[in-house]
This record gives sequence, structure tokens and C-alpha cells, in this order.
Amino acid sequence: MGFLFDGLDAEAYDRNYTDADLVKRILHYFRPQAGKMGIAAAMISAAALLEAGIPIFISRSIDTLRDDTSLGRLATTALILTILASCSWVFNLIRQTLAAQAVGDVVLKIREDACDSVLRRDMSFYDQFSSGKIVSRVTSDSAAFSQVMNLSMELLSRLLLVTVLVGYLATVSLKLTSILLALAPIIMGVALAFRAIARRTITASRRMNAEVSSHIQETVSGIGVAKTFRQEAVIHAEFLGVNRQSLRVNRRTRYVFSSIFPILNILAGIGTASLVYAGGIGVREGELTAGTWFLFIQGLQSIWFPLTSIASFWSQFQLGLAAGERVFGLIDAEPRVIQSDSQRLPQLRGEIRFSDVEFGYKPEEPVLQHFNLHIRAGETLALVGHTGSGKSSIAKLVARFYEYQHGQILIDGVDIRHLDLSDYRARLGMVTQSPFLFDGTVRENIRYGRPEASDTEVVAAARHIGGEAWINALPQGLDSPVGERGASLSMGQRQLVALARVLLQDPAIIILDEATASVDPLTETLIQEGLDTVLAGRTAIVIAHRLSTVRHANRIIVLRKGQIIEEGHHQHLLAAGGHYAELYNTYFRHQSLEYIEQARKAA
Amino acid sequence: MAQRSEFTAPNTYTYDQRSTWRWIFSHVRRYWYFALGFYLFFTIAWACYAGSQVLIGRAADEIISPSSADGLLIIALTILGVLVGDGVSALFGSLSAENVAARFEADARQELYESLLSKSKGFHDRQRAGDIMARATDDTNQLSNLIVPGITLVSETVMGIVIPLTYIAFVRLELLLVPLCFVASYIVTAKRYVRRLNPVVHDQREQFGAMNAGLEETISGIEVVKASARENFEREKFRRNARLFRDFFVRQGYIEARYLPLLLYGFALGLSFLHAMWLYRQGQIAVGQVIAVVALVNVLRFPTFISLFAFSLIQSGIASADRILHIVRGESDLDEQRAGYSAPMRGEITFEAVEFDYEESGSKRVLEHIAFHIPAGKTVAIVGQTGSGKSALTQLVNRTYEATAGRVLIDGVDVREWSLHALRSQIGKIEQDIFLFSRTIAENIAFARPDATRDEVIAAAQAAQAHDFISSFPNGYETVVGERGTTLSGGQRQRIALARAFLSDPRILILDDSTSAIDSATEDQIQQAIRKAQEGRTVLLITHRISQIRWADLILVLEDGRISAAGTHEELLQQSAIYRRIFARYDLVSQEDS
Repeated sequence: MGFLFDGLDAEAYDRNYTDADLVKRILHYFRPQAGKMGIAAAMISAAALLEAGIPIFISRSIDTLRDDTSLGRLATTALILTILASCSWVFNLIRQTLAAQAVGDVVLKIREDACDSVLRRDMSFYDQFSSGKIVSRVTSDSAAFSQVMNLSMELLSRLLLVTVLVGYLATVSLKLTSILLALAPIIMGVALAFRAIARRTITASRRMNAEVSSHIQETVSGIGVAKTFRQEAVIHAEFLGVNRQSLRVNRRTRYVFSSIFPILNILAGIGTASLVYAGGIGVREGELTAGTWFLFIQGLQSIWFPLTSIASFWSQFQLGLAAGERVFGLIDAEPRVIQSDSQRLPQLRGEIRFSDVEFGYKPEEPVLQHFNLHIRAGETLALVGHTGSGKSSIAKLVARFYEYQHGQILIDGVDIRHLDLSDYRARLGMVTQSPFLFDGTVRENIRYGRPEASDTEVVAAARHIGGEAWINALPQGLDSPVGERGASLSMGQRQLVALARVLLQDPAIIILDEATASVDPLTETLIQEGLDTVLAGRTAIVIAHRLSTVRHANRIIVLRKGQIIEEGHHQHLLAAGGHYAELYNTYFRHQSLEYIEQARKAA
Repeated sequence: MAQRSEFTAPNTYTYDQRSTWRWIFSHVRRYWYFALGFYLFFTIAWACYAGSQVLIGRAADEIISPSSADGLLIIALTILGVLVGDGVSALFGSLSAENVAARFEADARQELYESLLSKSKGFHDRQRAGDIMARATDDTNQLSNLIVPGITLVSETVMGIVIPLTYIAFVRLELLLVPLCFVASYIVTAKRYVRRLNPVVHDQREQFGAMNAGLEETISGIEVVKASARENFEREKFRRNARLFRDFFVRQGYIEARYLPLLLYGFALGLSFLHAMWLYRQGQIAVGQVIAVVALVNVLRFPTFISLFAFSLIQSGIASADRILHIVRGESDLDEQRAGYSAPMRGEITFEAVEFDYEESGSKRVLEHIAFHIPAGKTVAIVGQTGSGKSALTQLVNRTYEATAGRVLIDGVDVREWSLHALRSQIGKIEQDIFLFSRTIAENIAFARPDATRDEVIAAAQAAQAHDFISSFPNGYETVVGERGTTLSGGQRQRIALARAFLSDPRILILDDSTSAIDSATEDQIQQAIRKAQEGRTVLLITHRISQIRWADLILVLEDGRISAAGTHEELLQQSAIYRRIFARYDLVSQEDS
């Protein structure tokens, strides 16, 4: 029943693959299921034949019905009819069972392929697409695409049914068949016209609903403000206006949708009445039997419904293909970070050397050019500079999250492209501004980077970071659930968990994008103390936002537009009065005790 | 049903909220003439449609033994008339029902919205905005689907079974035997089918959610995954989920394939045909009546099979109605106290042995033994870790919540005795997540006082150190917040909110200043704006800025809902170990510096 309404909200989509390509790719996935699909197709044909056969059989039986037909014959007739219906049911059962298995397996395979391909990609891919989009490609689009198969099978069975029935009717009476067929283009035409109108109203409705949503979203989020200032009446009046308009638009859409079936029924009624009369005359003139006459009238109903569904097939089919395209687009793309060897460095010291490196997220916008930097093993290096100066890029290249265009990055003297990535990254620690935690317990999160670590080691790492107090503050200690993305923990607690995670990993190199996230002074103190612990004795690259870190670094690198313009120690740089002094006044001055002490006077 | 309420909308229609069905019924009753129209028109439509099948049988008899020259033509024209009548009645019936459905949706949304406005702020703080959104849009939408096609289809099922059966009874009463057995067995088997299918559909939906959430998590945390080289672990996690989903999908396919009622229908068709032929052989009915019976049994097909779909729609519609009613009926904790104490406020705040917990948490006290006194015009900094109760403490002051025990006094009067309007209009609050409406900056600043002149708005913005950056926008004060290109930083939003507060000129200002200033210039400006705000009012400051804590008249250090230390900076350096630890780092830094 919903068939006529399906696929109305299809949106235009830019395509890179042709229909033929996509169908070929989809069929390729179905190849391992060829046996099941073959049987299913045979079942579809058989069921369609039987379903066409039932009304034909009834009409034959009516014709042969006499006052003196034996009881045995009547029973046989009923039995055959029941058997026909039962067989068609059994065929459908086999078909649906097999199709469910085949489609389930194909969708699973596509999802696995898509997920594998996503995980292989480098970070540039994740920068480009939101996580929601990627997820919906892997999970939803892969399902939508199996619809293409279901849809095609469904259409096939309906078309077969119509063809068989019409074919049979044509052999009986060409005249009545032509009356029947004359109706077909009208029904198709009405169905298509309806879809055109419905598409317009549904677009209007969708827009209206979005407007209602955004209005409600805004006022619900702003209800606190409205209440604080006692302005409820204003937003109430606005709401009434939007709601009234939404009523008008949605009601129109509903009217359009509910008028189509009565209209089609009236058309079918005209067809039925014509068949009753023209057929009746035919019976009287001996051209056909009463049973066949009845068959035509019943046939009309079996035919017109599939016709309306054909009207929606094409847009549905395109919708499925578009989904297929999105999935294949994901599967086909190649990651840019490619390792040419898999060397292991069992004793990673953490010496890093950039020589003549050129890098840009997009080739036409280079971030680093002819970049040279040597970081000694065990050194703490602070990177400072304005946004866009290339601080994060340096850190991300060390983590091998991106491919660089030119030059060399050497880790302990070995080209980073020759390293076994998982071995290397296992010795690399990273803490970002808003640390990400996985749903699970604190313990599981600390252990994430080193799953084989013992409980004692986990506890030791946690204690080492923030002392006993923060663990005790957790409701169930280390077994407290962190919630989705760590939502059950405060920002400070999340930072501590992330730090413990890195400490347990015992990395030789640490990359730290220092937190600017707002935490209370007490938590900040805790985190700072934790950081001091983690950094001790390791190579550290710190994107510094805190005065204390900058000051404690072994070396400060001042970056501007991807170039190192100053380098040295805090006192020395500040005294030089160059770019660093300017940065200090912009970003760090307010973190100094002098500033705090003078705050009252300044105001 | 006199609910406590913070806002009463004018001229509202009242609905029966005692139970879900009563509530739905009271909404529909508002448009009873349309509802009645639906039943009337659809009874006619079904009578016409089923009647046309009987007429087809009559036509068969007429063909075989003509009664008059144009007897067949008359019957054919009657069939045409009846079928057109069916279409037209169905059209009118549908439009009536759709009208009720669309209005129900809009009315329920209005009812929900008004109830949201009437609820206390405490109520809203407890709700997630996304959840309320879903109820106001998706759930109200489900309500209209509950009417059409939910209830209408169920009604049609009843008509579409009863009316054809009545016609069959008129042909010959005993012919009812098979169709009645079919309907009965249909009900039994369809029920069993749904009972088997529902849990699988549910599991499948849950598993889909789990698969999505798992992958979403992996991708959101991809930096950690890659940095820890744990891709294989995440891959296996996804595969496990995807495989489980496949199993549910296949199981659903199995159950759907074994849909018994379809088989029963085949039996019913065969048996009623047999029955009719047998009666014909006995000479009790004519060929036309055999045809009519077969055609009428055919009519049964649609209503029986559509009803499953209709029932599931009704189920989800009811669930939506429950969710909406849950909000609508939710008691507001506070009342307006229209006749309460009302006077110009001086801004003296006293907490007397205050205890507080949120209703649902129960186990753990949010605030315990809170007692302090703030003379009018002083600035108090509240310091403590997340979850230590800082926000809750400020929420008691403007009566977002009420104390569980003890008293909160403003100017010596219990906040519960203040008129809510007088209390709130004199207490300004700037939340951590500052909300700005998608309107112009000027309108946002003048939100509390829509009558304010442009000069007043500008003066307020200047005081809040917001004038300069507002003027730097191409459209200045007419810039619409949130439109392309005008994303405001946290510091800028905060200063607009401060300007808003300046314009309403509250006696007590509560400021949750947890935004971080990443540069010193912003810090300077925020410092100045807040300094300005402190002039002549009592200020409660939740802040992370050491420079503000340092200079507050009173510092309250909260730990686990208790005040662990209170005093000025100098006093706390002496008394509080935590406080010393915080400042130790700064001292360390400054010693090295000098």
C-alpha cells in the first residue's frame, strides 16, 4: 500500500559512477549467493505463475459448474484451489527465507569492507567527513542498497504476474483485454501526476517541519533565558504563528496523499463497469463464457495495483543506487599514508629529525616548507605561535597521521615511512585538549593502549598521575563507568584518565596538545602535576597554552607561517623582545602572578 | 487539576489528561463533526464497494437469463454509480480524518509547548533539550499518524470485515461459516505472529543502534585508536556487532516468511468456493451468487492484511502520546506566588543550614550544611571541582530549585515568600552555556526590556566591553546571531549576555564564568566588564579565573557539597591546603620570573 508513496523524498545527488557500473558492483557482491538467489528467482516466477493461475482456475471452474456436477468434482476443484494457494505460499516462504540469508550476508560483507576501508584511512579523511556521515555510509547506505535487490525482485514478480494474466486474457478476448489495457496508461499517468504533486507538497512539509523544529529548538534551549527575564508571552506568540502555518502546510500534504486512492478507485470503477457491460454483451454473443467475464473483472484489480507501484520503481531504484555509490565511494578510496617497509625499533629512543619537509593538508596550501628541526631524545620541546602557524601539523606528522609531500622525517635515524606503524604508534603517546574516552570503565580506558597490562600496572599508573584522591573521588573507583565519550566524568577527570592511559603505554615520544579547556583551578593543578610526571624522561612535543609549561620546556620553538623564527629558553627569548615577547603579551601574560596581583588596579 | 504553574497561556482549550486514551479522545472530540464525518462516509464507501461485488454477481445472472432489453446496461450503470459513490465517499471520509489528524498534531504541540512554558526552570534544567525537541516534533508527528492511518485503518478493518460478511449473510446465512472461521483463525494466528515478530524487530533495532553507536565511537575517537594502534580491536568490535545484526535480520526474514494468515486465506478461498458451489448444486443459489460470494471473500483480503500495519502504528502513536503526556502532566515544582512578597531588592543573601538534593538522585546530598551571609554589594567567588555543588548553590538563590532543608533569605525574606516575578526580575543570571536567540544582537541585548532605546542598548554594550567588537561587524548591532559568518566566541557571547544583564539592571548578578580566555586581551576585557558589573550589586561568581578569585570579597571553597573553607585570599592561604596548592604553582612561576 505504501509502494506508491515510497521514494518521494529522494534528493538529487552528484554521481561519479554510472548506473551500469553500480549494478555490476552490486551483482558482484551477490555472486557468492548466486545459488540462493537463483532458487529465489525461480520461486518468484513459480509463485507469480500460481497467483495468476488462481483466478483463471476459478473462472474455469465456474464455467464447468453444472447442476449435476458430482460432489467429487467439486471437492477436487476446491482441493486444487487450496493446493495452488498453499504452493504459492510455500514458494514465497522459500524465497523470503533464502533472500533474507543472501541479503543479510551481502550487507554484512559490504559493511565489513566499508569499515575496513574506513579504518585504513589516514586522518585527512576524517577531517573531511563528519563521523555521522561516515557511520551512515557504513551502516545505513549499505542497507539501503540491498533494497535495490529486494525492489528488483518484487518488481519482477509483479511484472511477471501482470504479463501472465494479460497474456492469458488476450488469448481469450482481445476486445476486453484492450479495454483493460486502455486503462493502464491512465492509471500510470494519474500515478505519475500524483507523485509530481506529492513531491512538491512533501518538500514544502519537510521545510515547514524543519522550521518548526528550529523554532522549538531555539525556544526550548532559550527557555531558561526567557524565564529569567519573564518573557514567556513573547515566544509563545511566535510559536502560535509557526504552529498555525505548519498545520496549514501539513494538512495540505495529508489531503494530497489521502486523495490518490479514492481517485484511482473511481478510475478502476469506470473500468469495472465497462467490463461488466462489454463483457456481458460478449457472453451473450457467445464470444466468451461467464467465468472468463468474471476473470476479467477480477483481473482488473490484480493489474492496476502493480501498475501504480511501477510508477515509483524508478526513483526508488535510483535511491538505492545512490546509496550504493556512497558505499563504493568509501570502499574504493585509497589511504594516502602508505608504509613502504615494516621496520621495528625495539629500543625507541625518541630522536626526531625533520629535514627539508614540505607539507600541506591541500597541495595548493603548504603549511610547512623546507622545514628542518632536530629534537633530541628525552627533550621537552614547546611549540608556540598563532593559530595556523603549523604547530599541530608538526605534531601530527610525528604521529604519522598525514602524508607529507617532500623531504624526510627520521625517527632514531630511520625514515618514518619505513616503520611498522602499529609497533611505532604503540610507543607513541598523545594527549589532546579534549581527551576522548570510550564507553566502559575507567580501568578499561586506562588500559586501552596496552590491553595486556596487569591490574597492578593500571592502578600504579592511575596513582602515579593524580595521587589517591582522584581515584577515591570516583563513585566506584577505577571500575566507575565513564559514560558515552566520558560524559559521566568531569573534564578534569577525563584528562587524568587520558594521562594515565598514556603513562601506562610507557611511550618514548609524547605529543601533547595542552588543554585550554576550561577546568577549575584545582583540577588544573592536578592535571599539571600529572603532566609533569608523564613528561619526565621522554621526548615530548608540547603545543603549549600554559605559561608554566613553556617556561619549563628545554627549548621553545617560535613558529610563524610554518617557519621557525626564534628558538631558545623563555628568559632569553623574552629578553630578545621579538615575536616571542609579542606572543607572551598576547597569550601568556594573564597567567602570570604579576597579572593576577595587578588585576584589581588594571580594572 | 490546579497545577502549579509559572506561565498561563491565554484562552487555552483544556483537554482531559487523566489517561492516555482519554486525552486522545478529548482531542478528537474537539473536532467531533469531522470524526463523525469519517465514520459516516467510510461506512457508505465500504457498503458501496462490497455492494458492487454483489451487483457483479447480479450482472452475471442478468447475462445468463436477461430480464429486459437494457437490464445489463442498467446494472452496469448502477455498478459505475456505486463505485464512483465509493470513491467520492472515501475521498470525503479521508479528508475529514486527515483534518482531525493534522489538527491533533498541531493542538498537541501547542499544548506541550504551553506546558513547557509553564514549567519551572528547575524542570527544564533536568530535561535534555534534545529529548524535548524529539517530543515536540517526532512524537507529535506520530500522533497524527495514530489517527490516520492508525485508527482509521483499524476502523476500516472492522467495516471492511463486517460489511462484506453482512452481504454474504444476505446471499445465504450459512455461507458465513467459512469466512467467520477464517476471521477467527486470522486473529489467533496474526496475534501469534506479532508476538514472535516484535521481539526480533526490537532486538534488531537495538542491535542497529549498538552497531551505529560503536562505529560512531570508534570514529570519534579515531585519533586515540590510531595513536594506540588499536585498529584491529575496533574492527573486530564492529564485525561482532554487524554479524549479530545480520543474525537478527535473517531471523526476522524467517518469521516473516512463515506468515500463516496468508496460507489460511488460501484455504478460506477454496472452502468458501466449495461451499458456494455445493449450495449451487443443491439449487439453493444462482451462479451470480457464487460469483458474488467469491468476490466478497476477495474483499476480505485487504482489511485483514492491513490491520497488522495499522496496529503497529497505533502502538507507536500511543507510546508517543504517553511521552508527551508525561511532560505535560509533570508537576512543576514551583509556583508563581503572584501575591508574594514584592519590593525593591537590596541584594543581601543569607543561607541558613541549607541542605539540598535533586529529587531523582536521592542517595547523595548535593549540598550539606551550607551557611553564609553576604552583605549587599559584595562579590563572592565560589571555587570547587565539577560536581562539588557550585551551580546548585546559585540555583537556590533565584529559586530555580528550592532548598530541601534550611532557608535561603534575600534581604531577610525567604525566597519562597517572594513573588517569583519580583525575585527573578531582580536577579540576573549568566549561565556557562550562554544562549543567544537567532535574532539581531540588539534584540538579544534588549531581550528583557524590548522597549529599551538604541542608546540604552549601546550604553549597556559599552559597559560590558562588547561595543567594540559589535561595531566591527559589517551590520553592527543589526547582525543576526548565528547567521553565516557570525559565529561568536565564548568570550563575545559572555559579554553580550553581560550587556543583557546590564540593561535589566538586576540587584543580584549570578555569573557562571567558566569560559576560558585564551588570550590576554580577552581576559583584560572580561575583567573590566565584570568589574563594572560588580559596581553597586551583589555578585555571585563561579569562576576559573585566578585573578577574580584573588580579589573577591569572600571566597567559598566547595568540596563535595560542603563549604570546606571560606574567607579572603589571605585567610585562605593560611587555612586551606587545596587553595595553597593552587597558588603554589603561580608562586613558583613568578619566583623564576623575577
